[in-house]
Amino acid sequence: MAAWESYAGKGLLFTPGASVMHRANPLTSLIVTLWAISFAAILPVAGTALLTLAIIAFAFACGIGPTTLKRLAITMIPFGIALFLVHGVLVHAPDSVRYGPVSLSRGGFHDAAVLFFRLAAMLAASLLFVSTTHPSDMLKSLDARGVSPVVSYLIASPLLLLEPLSLRAKGIRDAQQARGMDLSGSWRARIGALPAMLIPLIALALSDLDHRVLILTGRAFRAHKRRTVLGAPPDDPGQMWFRRVLAVVAVAQLGVPLLWR
Amino acid sequence: MTLETRTLVLISAAVVINIVAGQVVRMLNIPLYLDSVGTVLVAVLAGPLAGGLTGLVTNLIWGLILTPVAAAFAPVAIVTGLCAGWLARAGWFKTWWQSLISGVLISIPSTIVAVPIIVFMFGGVTGGGPDYAVAYLAAVGSSILKSVAFSNLGVNTVDKSLTALVAFVVISRLPIRLTTSYGFFAHSRA
Repeated sequence: MAAWESYAGKGLLFTPGASVMHRANPLTSLIVTLWAISFAAILPVAGTALLTLAIIAFAFACGIGPTTLKRLAITMIPFGIALFLVHGVLVHAPDSVRYGPVSLSRGGFHDAAVLFFRLAAMLAASLLFVSTTHPSDMLKSLDARGVSPVVSYLIASPLLLLEPLSLRAKGIRDAQQARGMDLSGSWRARIGALPAMLIPLIALALSDLDHRVLILTGRAFRAHKRRTVLGAPPDDPGQMWFRRVLAVVAVAQLGVPLLWR
Repeated sequence: MTLETRTLVLISAAVVINIVAGQVVRMLNIPLYLDSVGTVLVAVLAGPLAGGLTGLVTNLIWGLILTPVAAAFAPVAIVTGLCAGWLARAGWFKTWWQSLISGVLISIPSTIVAVPIIVFMFGGVTGGGPDYAVAYLAAVGSSILKSVAFSNLGVNTVDKSLTALVAFVVISRLPIRLTTSYGFFAHSRA
């Protein structure tokens, strides 16, 4: 795991810190996130707006406010513009009222607001989780709970390979540009450049498959169904009970309104 | 299902190929995704289940490290891998033109799975390029469902046929020693 841990912070959303979310067991953070997502699914528009604000405020308290806000804005601003434009202006609804060249729908804007704040709350909760939980800690927690080494390998290995290959992609791009490839040229020229960039990259990613198979087989990594975990994130009975209760609440709050109807 | 170590290693490389191919397409400002080249590659070499698993892991990791929204589209990635594997089993990845047709065929079920996610979870828009087509179709009177279905099918047809073609070109250039070690590839050998 040493090489994988050295990847910490490079290209990941994770931000180191000592907040309550950083200190919590990753499984506890995951259940809190799932509870918030399930809560956002049932709240009315004002509730999801308040939940989004509460999560953002909590993100600031955890020391990840600016990055969470930036990431949320990058995703939600273009999404929000498209959502309000399509539902409030472009789709013709029975309540559409014409204002000069455009017709606006109050119901359409309401539908857009419901979706916008619901997704904003869900995304903010997910960002809070990925920004405060390092993937290696999450994997160690899963290993400690007895998850198969195959699952751990499938998640950890791509993360290890990702950074070197991304750097290689940038290297190939720079080399191709130095030889005259124009990235701002016509779409035909850019599509023409695609094989020159993609094929060497893919060949590189597949070049040492045999070597890696030999290493894994040599280490007998599938000899046991469970891996022994060194330095697993701390857990305690209080957090375990909190997770169980919150998991039940997350499912119940989705199911009870359905029964009520 | 027990995965061979060889298949496991291939899947982990393919997940990285998917993510980096997506980055390369964004570097070149091409309005496509090409983020399932690795998935199709695994499906052709190791079968539909391995392909579906590659799609699932790609979107989960993408969601974990870059944008959590990607995780919502994991079912689309799974279907892409499964369909590519089934088509490979039927011998539809033996030549470049068969691969191109396979890409078109893959785009149909992947659109069928993607449309409900886009419409019911994201209100018909995703904040990306295809939103222009959705906006145009909505403006000329199509319902949201139809607008999303048509725009998504259009983008997906081009995207998946190019994806299948790139996967075919890559596989045809791989050393024979490597491809023969995957028994499933016998279905795609010309």
